[in-house]
Amino acid sequence: MKRFLSITHDPIDEAGLLAARSMSAGMGAAVYFSGVVRAQEGSELIVAIDYSCFVPMAEHQFHRLFDQLEQRGSVESLRLIHRIGRVAVGEASLWIEVVSAHRGEAFSACQWVIDEMKRVVPIWKKPVLVTEKPVA
Amino acid sequence: MMIPVTFWSYFAELAGCAETVVTVSDGATIEVLLKHLYTSYPALAEMRRSTLIAVGVEYQDGEYVLKAGDRVSLFPPVQGG
Repeated sequence: MKRFLSITHDPIDEAGLLAARSMSAGMGAAVYFSGVVRAQEGSELIVAIDYSCFVPMAEHQFHRLFDQLEQRGSVESLRLIHRIGRVAVGEASLWIEVVSAHRGEAFSACQWVIDEMKRVVPIWKKPVLVTEKPVA
Repeated sequence: MMIPVTFWSYFAELAGCAETVVTVSDGATIEVLLKHLYTSYPALAEMRRSTLIAVGVEYQDGEYVLKAGDRVSLFPPVQGG
């Protein structure tokens, strides 16, 4: 399974990632998910989220998940980018793409990686609240 | 044996520092280390039920026997995405 992982302060270049997609002739499904920072966190209005990360452990835990996925044998490639630092509302904090032969495997793998990431990968978020209410 | 400990995310704010060093006896477990930490940083003791622990880049539990050279991390539940 081909894999690409980036934990980065840089904005996610979704157009560039899509342009760089690679699929062999036997692959029929490419599923990608873009996680975008919402303007509300719980009941609070926010302007951004500050992501912090224990990078060496995060990379290790991501690769353990990728190893488990590889053992399924149905995924040809997986690319995952997670931003850290301040991510403004409306910007993507996470981008993941799974390529496989069939859509069921691709959707399932994409969902599984995100669920497991939220369980084991040491990344945390701190909302940046709106400090001034807009003028009515 | 001196064990460096790192507090991640808001655990650093609760502890008032991001790193510390704890001296424990040979053969001490993480549970022993935690008792030292909770005495020094009582705010962390209140989070014990949700605390995740790693040695190096692997998760461990309280029964893990510490070795010279280990680096311990304590942090709250993760929130990626």
